[in-house]
Amino acid sequence: MKYDETEIKVRFNEVDSWGIVWHGHYIAWFEVGRMALLKKFHLLPQDFTQMGYIAPVVDLKCFFKEPARMEEEILIRTSVLKPTKAALTFRFQILRKKDGKLLASGEETQVLLTLDGRMLYIIPQDLRERLQPLFNYLEEPDSAA
Amino acid sequence: MADDLVGELKKLIIETLKLEEITPEDIEDDGQLFGDGLGLDSIDALELVVALEKGYGVVIPDSEVGERVFRSVITLAQFVREKSTTK
Repeated sequence: MKYDETEIKVRFNEVDSWGIVWHGHYIAWFEVGRMALLKKFHLLPQDFTQMGYIAPVVDLKCFFKEPARMEEEILIRTSVLKPTKAALTFRFQILRKKDGKLLASGEETQVLLTLDGRMLYIIPQDLRERLQPLFNYLEEPDSAA
Repeated sequence: MADDLVGELKKLIIETLKLEEITPEDIEDDGQLFGDGLGLDSIDALELVVALEKGYGVVIPDSEVGERVFRSVITLAQFVREKSTTK
């Protein structure tokens, strides 16, 4: 599975009084990775809304392995599992850029709702077609691995 | 036979959702599957939809239909009996 990569640098407001990144910020970094990937395929939240859908998060996991510290350059790696049901599951890896050390990993699942709040049990054809280029891209060999 | 289908669907629910501590006898025929009853959630519904389509060829497109169909094993069996393309 291929991961898309984006970079950030740890900011002062992200570290706690122990000098390490506060755990909640990793979730915000997942969001940075997710938006960077979705933007490439015109699948940002506003694109979903234009198609008549929203995709709320229903499940989120994060495993913390090593702390990140201020000013460190961070790689956010993001991928999406090919759906086996009407949900999108994103996978994330947070790495320290200088040595490639895995700092955290996580997974997040979003379901699909119509704008009037009806939950979709099957991915509609129009959305399936819009998602296909994203999955084609993620099936390419992972040059970052 | 009707009862066979109810039993079959209880097994399908347990196997699909890997409810290891639950037996078919624990699931009441007319008990709620979601919320207060068996306690299934929206992701469970998505898994069941896939299994029901594979097993019985029935399509449950969204929560509007799902809320009616997944009310209990009995309502699910009625729906499968009406819509199934494999039986």
